[in-house]
Amino acid sequence: MIKSFLGYLHSNVTPGEAGNLIWVTIYVLLVFAGISVGVIFMNWFERKVMARMQVRLGPMRVGPYGLLQPIADALKLIIKEDLMPENADKLVFWFAPVCVVMTAFCTFIVVPFGRTHAITDMNIGILFMLGVSSLGVLGVIMAGWASNSAYPLMGSLRSGAQMVSYEVAMGMTVVSAVMMTSLKGVGTLSMIGIVQAQMQQHTWFAFSFFPVGLTALGVFTIAMVAETNRAPFDLPEAESELVAGFLTEYSGFRWSLFFLAEYASMMAVSSIATTLWLGGWLRPFPNLLGGKNWDLAFSLVPGLTFLTLAAFCFISFTKLPRIRAMHGDAIGLAGFGSLLALVGLVLLSPGMRVRIQDIYWFTLKVAFFMYIYVWCRTTFPRYRFDQLMKIGWKVLLPISLGVVILTALIGVRQELFALVWR
Amino acid sequence: MKVVEVLKKFFLVDLLKGMLVTFRHQAPSQLVTEQYPLERPVLSDRFRGQPRLLKDAEGKPLCTACGACALACPEKLIKVGSLRDPETKKKVLTEFDYDLSRCMFCGLCEEACPTHSLDLSPDYEIALYTREGMQLDRSHLEDGTPRKVYER
Repeated sequence: MIKSFLGYLHSNVTPGEAGNLIWVTIYVLLVFAGISVGVIFMNWFERKVMARMQVRLGPMRVGPYGLLQPIADALKLIIKEDLMPENADKLVFWFAPVCVVMTAFCTFIVVPFGRTHAITDMNIGILFMLGVSSLGVLGVIMAGWASNSAYPLMGSLRSGAQMVSYEVAMGMTVVSAVMMTSLKGVGTLSMIGIVQAQMQQHTWFAFSFFPVGLTALGVFTIAMVAETNRAPFDLPEAESELVAGFLTEYSGFRWSLFFLAEYASMMAVSSIATTLWLGGWLRPFPNLLGGKNWDLAFSLVPGLTFLTLAAFCFISFTKLPRIRAMHGDAIGLAGFGSLLALVGLVLLSPGMRVRIQDIYWFTLKVAFFMYIYVWCRTTFPRYRFDQLMKIGWKVLLPISLGVVILTALIGVRQELFALVWR
Repeated sequence: MKVVEVLKKFFLVDLLKGMLVTFRHQAPSQLVTEQYPLERPVLSDRFRGQPRLLKDAEGKPLCTACGACALACPEKLIKVGSLRDPETKKKVLTEFDYDLSRCMFCGLCEEACPTHSLDLSPDYEIALYTREGMQLDRSHLEDGTPRKVYER
């Protein structure tokens, strides 16, 4: 048993493919913990970035530079009274947040954080992801229905209409990406297969068939913002009209589950976009800048990033005002900096850097999308509902259909050329 | 012209412009928040805050008890009490009451003062929990309001 446990470390397949149950469990726990930490960090990051874009400082008081703010928030939410409306449908009210969280986390089963860093590889990976993530709308509708109140019902109806209509455009763009995988070799729906196809074709799908891939990515980005009910498409939670939409009757821990699910599903759709168009876990220019030296150079980047972050921590440590009230912050910041430096040093060690590199590049690309989420939220005012529907059906759907048709035409043309010239 | 507009719409030019604006505002130099207890505001020389009665270099009060400030005050919150010194035949200041709770810091009293003895100083931390402490008498004005110092 120990042999099979350690033996997996030398294989280069995902634990799901290897059929190694222990490692599957470990990976599930790791992914769950990673996503939760990501959500906590994202909470801080969003507030900070949003504040800076609005020329404010954001959280500054809980921990150094407000780093402990999300933890304080979570603590408050857990301590808060968990209310359930008297005439609510108790069972459905209880199940709705569970359903939303389950669907949001289930999608991560097939997300490839690296060649070996996925829980499993399915041959219908992308289909599974889209299917499961769109089940989340069920939870939202259940929440609205079970609350037995006008605002949540309106909010969930809106949310249902919105998610269903943007799913169509989203699906179409995904089809175009999947069609691109079949260009040189066999078409595949597997998430790992899609990334490998991009490796094989020497290009990210965002840049193949030049304007087509980029348009597909653009349409997908807009659709994914709408799909996750984020600003400027956050009509289900439009506080000026619907108080808080389907979240109105939820409080305390249940509310925080919705919050968790929202950010987890944001990460899930961002990782779909990363995998399909931005080359998933691939480092920049794996073919053009190939060779041993470049491999070494790029594998040092994750460790160096952490060391840079640590350096930032130490610089801000020296900048903290020297007063007694800030001593705790200073110690915390120095500790955090040394932790980051330690992680950086571990990542620089030869054994680690090869295995961890993939995760680093994947996370970086997902983080880029998360930044765009926050950026859009600060910049754009909320759409009206009819505008939302108009964008979904009259603009995004035709564009995505055009993208699919163009992909097919260009792909067939290239295949025919290849046949003729051979 | 129309083609340009359609193209602008398709490439989301206006939205991207807006995003550029928010992106630029992230620069640390743009920050306007002042972390008050740690950072203190830079006040102008003419800032009008806590009133003070100044003394000359020898420690004698500059105030001649002329009462110009009391006359100038639109709120009539200054009360100047004086006695005539029988020897020098000069007015001597006995009391000076200043009701800060009614003051609007217009600075007219300061301008009216011929000896520049009444001064609205740049000390701005004068908030109190009750109105009692806002009746300033001569000792307050000359030596500053005693402030309660809290222990950490």
